[in-house]
Amino acid sequence: MTPFAVWLDRISGVTTTTAVWGLFLSGAVIYFIVEWRLRVLALFAQYLFIGVLFTRVFVDRPEMSLLKVLVGWLVCGALFLSVRIRQTAGERPHFHWAADLPFRILSLVMMTVVAYLASQRYTLPFVPQDLALGCILLAVFALLFIGAEEDAGVVGVGVLNLLAALDLFYSAQDPGLVVTGMLIMVNLLVGLAISYLTVAEVRT
Amino acid sequence: MTIAGPLFVLGVPLAVAAVLQILRRWTIISVFLAALTAAGMGVLLTLLPLGGVWTFRGLTVELARPLVVMGRVVQIEAADIFVLRYIFFTAAALFLLAWRFLPHSNFFPVGLAAAALFSGAFMVEQVVYTALLVVMGAILTVFPLHESGGAAKGGLRYLVYTVLALPGLMVTQLLLDLFMVFPNDQGLLNTATVLLGVSFAILFGAVPFQSWLSAVSSDGSPPVVTYLFTVNTGTVWFLLLAYFRNYPWLSQQAAFGTLFTTLGLVMMVTGGVLAAAQQRLGRLVGYATLVDNGAMLLALGTGRMEGLALAALLLLARPFSLGLMTLGLQGLRQLTGGLDDHLALEGAAFRAPWSTMAFLVGGIALAGFPLSLGFAARWGLYRITAMTNFANAMVALGSAAAVMLGIVISMRVLLTRPVARPASEAPPPASAPILKEDRLVVVLIVALLLVTLALGFFPRVASNLAVEMAQWYTFFP
Repeated sequence: MTPFAVWLDRISGVTTTTAVWGLFLSGAVIYFIVEWRLRVLALFAQYLFIGVLFTRVFVDRPEMSLLKVLVGWLVCGALFLSVRIRQTAGERPHFHWAADLPFRILSLVMMTVVAYLASQRYTLPFVPQDLALGCILLAVFALLFIGAEEDAGVVGVGVLNLLAALDLFYSAQDPGLVVTGMLIMVNLLVGLAISYLTVAEVRT
Repeated sequence: MTIAGPLFVLGVPLAVAAVLQILRRWTIISVFLAALTAAGMGVLLTLLPLGGVWTFRGLTVELARPLVVMGRVVQIEAADIFVLRYIFFTAAALFLLAWRFLPHSNFFPVGLAAAALFSGAFMVEQVVYTALLVVMGAILTVFPLHESGGAAKGGLRYLVYTVLALPGLMVTQLLLDLFMVFPNDQGLLNTATVLLGVSFAILFGAVPFQSWLSAVSSDGSPPVVTYLFTVNTGTVWFLLLAYFRNYPWLSQQAAFGTLFTTLGLVMMVTGGVLAAAQQRLGRLVGYATLVDNGAMLLALGTGRMEGLALAALLLLARPFSLGLMTLGLQGLRQLTGGLDDHLALEGAAFRAPWSTMAFLVGGIALAGFPLSLGFAARWGLYRITAMTNFANAMVALGSAAAVMLGIVISMRVLLTRPVARPASEAPPPASAPILKEDRLVVVLIVALLLVTLALGFFPRVASNLAVEMAQWYTFFP
């Protein structure tokens, strides 16, 4: 077995429930902690868990899941570079919790309960229930990031989460190469646009 | 060597865009290469009949020849020709307008690449790819939006709203395909209609999703904003028509007319009220565009071919009116170091008369008042709406009047002679006040003014084109 195949095998060995928990924890880190290095690291981890969820969709083509993970990591890299540029422009990195932490905890708990109940009550066509929870959870994080933040980087992560949720859902319906490829292009473009806007904010 | 039409129409602008990215330092080359490529595509699509062949030094382009990409057919159809012409000609004109305002800009390569993606969107058969390509093109246009300074909030909002619309568009196609298999399941059709309605409401900036329109127009660079409000919005409009053409039963639902009429009227009223209350010219442009978008949806809500033709006429009129407003707004902003509020622009007409005239005439045209092509389109819309519901027509007219009120208030400010103020109340100092307007910009303004007036006097030229376009969409009686 090649190292690549071993790695893929190990990744697909992680259960969907574990991956969903991973998604939740990494999303919570991005939502609660205002420190960019940690946030990018959490996003990095989040893409790994998204990749695990994709292994359930692309059962016969695990390399597609790997591609999704790599694209996500590329976007993380672009975001990291932008944040570095922003930091050299004057913003010093330091760990602190979000200013409205109680509100964020409450909103995350409420939305997670809603996501869980929605995944139990409504069945997404062609999507298994545990995968549906991951899908809905990603959409919930997207709404929270877009709604609660003004920072281009975090709002951008919300947009990327929304795209990941759509990608998971749509790939389960139509796992064709063309749609997958186009969604990858959209992801890359969004990642680049967010990185650019993060820097543009500083320049002005 | 024979090349399929879609490959040529897609490939040439993309290849030129890549070259332009390298040549960005030389603005004049960038502008003319971008404008010539876009105009060349438009001319080719106008002069060459669909079944025709164009040969140049051993290279043969067959316009109607399909291109197969991974089993998916990409083909230029007769109905697409009008859309492609609109995209390329508008892009070419906007590249020329942006010439003096955006030196060394990304706008020229990115605008050309976005135009290629938008045109490609209409050549693919399945609407899901159309939606994805439209979203990709829209994301590309975010890059040059904040090059000339200003907060990046507009670009971010546009990006967020565009991506928010994508799930609805993609899921709608799934539901409609399912409905084709299970035609008795009315629930599928209802859900698809709601999703489609919400997605397009987001893309058109309908209430309550209008915040991106005002954010973009107040923060963004005016030439790029004009591109966004003409080429991007035009593409979204044709995307909506593509859905109706592919799934004709969508437009045959009982709620269709009421949905679009209500949405259009709400957009018009909200845009009109907000435009009348604006103190910033950039936002005024955004809300006037919201009213125009609402007028297009109102025309669609009539459920008639005439309504579709009027909406197309409104779309054709928009590049002229918004182009003028852009030239004027950019000139006025340069005068005040980027500010566009009433306080900073008091008496600006005496320092930048041509920019002021361009902004005001463009505004009057966008509000749909004479003498402009917009007036012909709006008048037709009021008449056709009054035939079924007089009150709706009056509401639409009132909204246009509210935009006009915003323009008149701005005119009063621009024409007021500035009085000496204490230092504490004075507007922030301009970075480099321009005392003389750029001659080339003045020439462009005069040319655009003449074209706007000419089309106002002789709207038949454009209305024939609009009717020709509407005839390709046969989902209305």
